[in-house]
Amino acid sequence: MPDVLWLHYSRPRSGWYELDAAARDEHLARFAAARRDSVESGGQCQGSWHVRGNSDYSTVETWLFPDPDAAFTHWIRLTEAGYPRWFAFANNIGLRA
Amino acid sequence: MTLLTGETDVFDATSDGRCGVVFLARRRILASTSSAEASAGVRRALRELAGQGWQLSVAEMFGDHAEPAGYDTGFAHDVDVAGVFDAPDLTAALAGTVTLETAGWDQLFRTEWLIGPREFATVTSPRGRGPNNQWGFLALWEWNDAWHSATDAQRAAYDEECDVAFAADLAAGVSIAGRHRLDWASRWHHLGVWEVPDIELVTAAMREHEHVADFKFTTSRHYVGRLRALTDLLEG
Repeated sequence: MPDVLWLHYSRPRSGWYELDAAARDEHLARFAAARRDSVESGGQCQGSWHVRGNSDYSTVETWLFPDPDAAFTHWIRLTEAGYPRWFAFANNIGLRA
Repeated sequence: MTLLTGETDVFDATSDGRCGVVFLARRRILASTSSAEASAGVRRALRELAGQGWQLSVAEMFGDHAEPAGYDTGFAHDVDVAGVFDAPDLTAALAGTVTLETAGWDQLFRTEWLIGPREFATVTSPRGRGPNNQWGFLALWEWNDAWHSATDAQRAAYDEECDVAFAADLAAGVSIAGRHRLDWASRWHHLGVWEVPDIELVTAAMREHEHVADFKFTTSRHYVGRLRALTDLLEG
């Protein structure tokens, strides 16, 4: 059973809203590929939820990873795909209680 | 490991896999018997972590043999105690926070723990380090929208400008315990920790960092604190 929970809060940065649909889709495809790589490496994405009504961020994603290094590697994949350029974020990690 | 930002003239990357553990702690008010018991538990846990290769003070990060230490920050902040440990790796860092909390730390403090791998090695002031470095300065920052929108050339120019300020800090007597990357598990992207001989030096340094426009690309939070043995900080 995966022992590490990773929470990812995010909201688009201002520049995101100025991109046209094609540019957004191009970025989103890269981010999706990064997420896919993490799933193939043992991560489990449990989905994304809107929290804009009660948070500084728009969505929260929850992931389970086998260990902290896998969570870190997932974040490296997203940063290398340029994700933080377009989305502000707050991440959190937890060990199973 | 991929660096969040590149090396500069002042900072060299390190890939030793070690992991910083920042604590920002607010003291709880306990009956003295409970407090003594909790302190004893934390001291035992600290010895256990030291045995596992943890560095429990900034001084140890510079290679000193030193007792566990933190910074007394209550005089200037809503955080009573702050500090940084260096764990052998990510997994040890996370597990260690649980070890400390369950050993009694959680009874003594309400704590925000920030965890992330070391990116840059320590940099010692050309004036050296010594017993006069009785103050600590912790800087947390996130790269703001302007930094994320900047070109590589703009970021490189910015790093060069900041290097001017960092070089001045070092020349003035500051030693910098490298840089840790926090963004994978925090809203903060980086931590910088300084050993400082004089708190006024921090104010002068921040003027210089303002002068070189350090903060045009960051949102930052800073803590200053007086160096104290962790065993004393546990006692209040």
